Amino acid sequence: MSIEKKDLARHIVTSYAGPKIRIMEVCGTHTHEIFRYGIRQLLPPAVDLISGPGCPVCVTPPGFIDEAIYLALEKGAVICTFGDLIRVPGSAQSLADARSRGAAVQVVYSQLDAVKYAAAHRDKEVVFLSVGFETTTPGACLAVLQARDEGITNFSLLTANKTMPQAYEALKDSADAFLYPGHVQAIMGTEICEKLKADGISGVVTGFTARELLTALAVVLTEFPKGKPFFKNCYPRVVTAAGSVSGQKLLSQVMEACDTEWRGLGVIPQSGLTLRPEFAAYDARVKFAVPPMDGRSNPACRCGDILRGDCRPPQCPLFGKVCTPEHPVGACMVSREGACSAYYQYGGLTL
Amino acid sequence: MSDVITLAHGAGGKQTAELIDSVFKAHFANPEFTGDDAAILSLGGQDLAFTTDGFIVSPSDFPGGNIGKLSICGTVNDLSCMGAQPLYLACAFVIEEGLPMSDLERYAAAMEKTAAEAGVRIVAGDTKVAGKGQVDRLFITTTGIGRRLPGVRLSGTEAKPGDAVIVTGDIGRHGCTVLLSREQFGIDADVTSDCAPLWGTVKSMLGVTQDIHVIRDATRGGVGTVLYEIAAQSHVGIRLDRAAIPVAPAVSGVCGMLGLEPLYLACEGRLVVFAPQAQADAIVTALRQGPYSGNAAIIGTVTAEHAERVTIRTEIGAETILPPPGGELLPRIC
Repeated sequence: MSIEKKDLARHIVTSYAGPKIRIMEVCGTHTHEIFRYGIRQLLPPAVDLISGPGCPVCVTPPGFIDEAIYLALEKGAVICTFGDLIRVPGSAQSLADARSRGAAVQVVYSQLDAVKYAAAHRDKEVVFLSVGFETTTPGACLAVLQARDEGITNFSLLTANKTMPQAYEALKDSADAFLYPGHVQAIMGTEICEKLKADGISGVVTGFTARELLTALAVVLTEFPKGKPFFKNCYPRVVTAAGSVSGQKLLSQVMEACDTEWRGLGVIPQSGLTLRPEFAAYDARVKFAVPPMDGRSNPACRCGDILRGDCRPPQCPLFGKVCTPEHPVGACMVSREGACSAYYQYGGLTL
Repeated sequence: MSDVITLAHGAGGKQTAELIDSVFKAHFANPEFTGDDAAILSLGGQDLAFTTDGFIVSPSDFPGGNIGKLSICGTVNDLSCMGAQPLYLACAFVIEEGLPMSDLERYAAAMEKTAAEAGVRIVAGDTKVAGKGQVDRLFITTTGIGRRLPGVRLSGTEAKPGDAVIVTGDIGRHGCTVLLSREQFGIDADVTSDCAPLWGTVKSMLGVTQDIHVIRDATRGGVGTVLYEIAAQSHVGIRLDRAAIPVAPAVSGVCGMLGLEPLYLACEGRLVVFAPQAQADAIVTALRQGPYSGNAAIIGTVTAEHAERVTIRTEIGAETILPPPGGELLPRIC
């Protein structure tokens, strides 16, 4: 049988006959695109694809939402945020609930829009909810620098920024190989992936088109049976070994590593980014002396197990019953890129 | 159901349907109240189509049209989808204090021009002025009446297994245009709204054959929402072919960047048509001669299996579900 070159990856994936393998994608966009293209339907039973903690909305703990609501309702701040966060449940309510009780919540599409909003509303304190990984955080850094350069003093960040490498270490027993997010590695380069390989953690840098995803899976399924840790960059048109030097510079100029809580994974040491002390004037926690908040999740919600790959969304007792995209209980159902949302929207029917 | 109205209730998807069922249908139920774009009323031996639509688009001017043009197209198209020739319109204006007179003039002129093209007359109206900040510039409501062509029986309940699913042009242009003209994304793309009055388009199809089961205009919720509505109303499945769905390159570029599904982007000049496979090619050929349907295409088929679901054959040939509509789409696009 001759297989055309363009179908080779698909052939390798669909005809895989090696040992059982758990592959974890750790990027919400990958999760969503894998469902959208129907890639799961092509996988043989030996291949288990797990959706890990790669959606910034999903890993944001309830305490962070509580802090934002505190700033809005107690301190009268205008909260600027990406739209997804509005419906994430805090301990008692979401920002959407708080909004209908008078909290000022403004949806923005970039961090710089929040700075613009602050500049146009000098009589108000504007707080941007800074979530996201290495891809999103440089924008928050840029926003802080712009606010400083333009003398905008009514702008600050509530940070919950996270970095991926520590999460791979924390999750290394949950998966045999990771699909590294192409856009994160475009900023951070691939040295970290080589280091993970030296620590025994396998993975491939993966792009976002159907073909790129299939190629990455084919490479994983070719390498895995060889039995040794591996790393391949399957997104070389975008990702280089060095990554984006200017992006990394921006990060280290404005932010520094800190311990941070991940929903479901708990506190992972040094896996967060927060503002350096010299930018404390732009740190909402410092500026408004936000008291520590231990957020509580719905105890029945299994988002944490899902993010670790210990359970699949349909195994959660709330899934599809009380927790739906219209009325999400857990963060993985809120974001369109969350694992529960994807399972709910695409998983109801096996074709 | 939440205890307050949210933007999702107006997005044209699942929550809108729930709101209509739980509040409006509960209070207004009567035999003429249906799930179609317009009610069919039998008066004096004639079948009249009757409907109304409100317009609150922001911004009120956008590439390819403005709120005036849109307000005529929306109601004309709802009547047309019932196979009814639009005859008369009434319009109500709620105008914000401070709106420049020249803007109102421009919208009225656009309404006149579009009404003339559609062959309808605007015969009654109402004007209200609200204080500054109580409305955003201008809201328009139009109400229309049309005469259904004899022998035509179009309804969302009539889709049959084996029917071809046709769209009358590339999808998602209106939603994409309005999104970009809000400037918040800083994306510059050459897209204009598909906003158009479609009675001529409907007439051309009915000229080919009266054996058409459903015609519906894809508005707020886009083609995807219409497909789910029809699948539910007719209790059938719909299978789409991703590769066959016409999407302008600029629209698919914007969708890729922002993570949007073009099937859920609003259209204001596109119809979704269900007709027997045997008629489909002739309908598409006729559509391609028309001014607003040059890239009409067959995008899928109706199936007996997977009732009330829309499935899609993806780029890599896998079969998957088109996620059902829901949630907060783009606010105020029509």
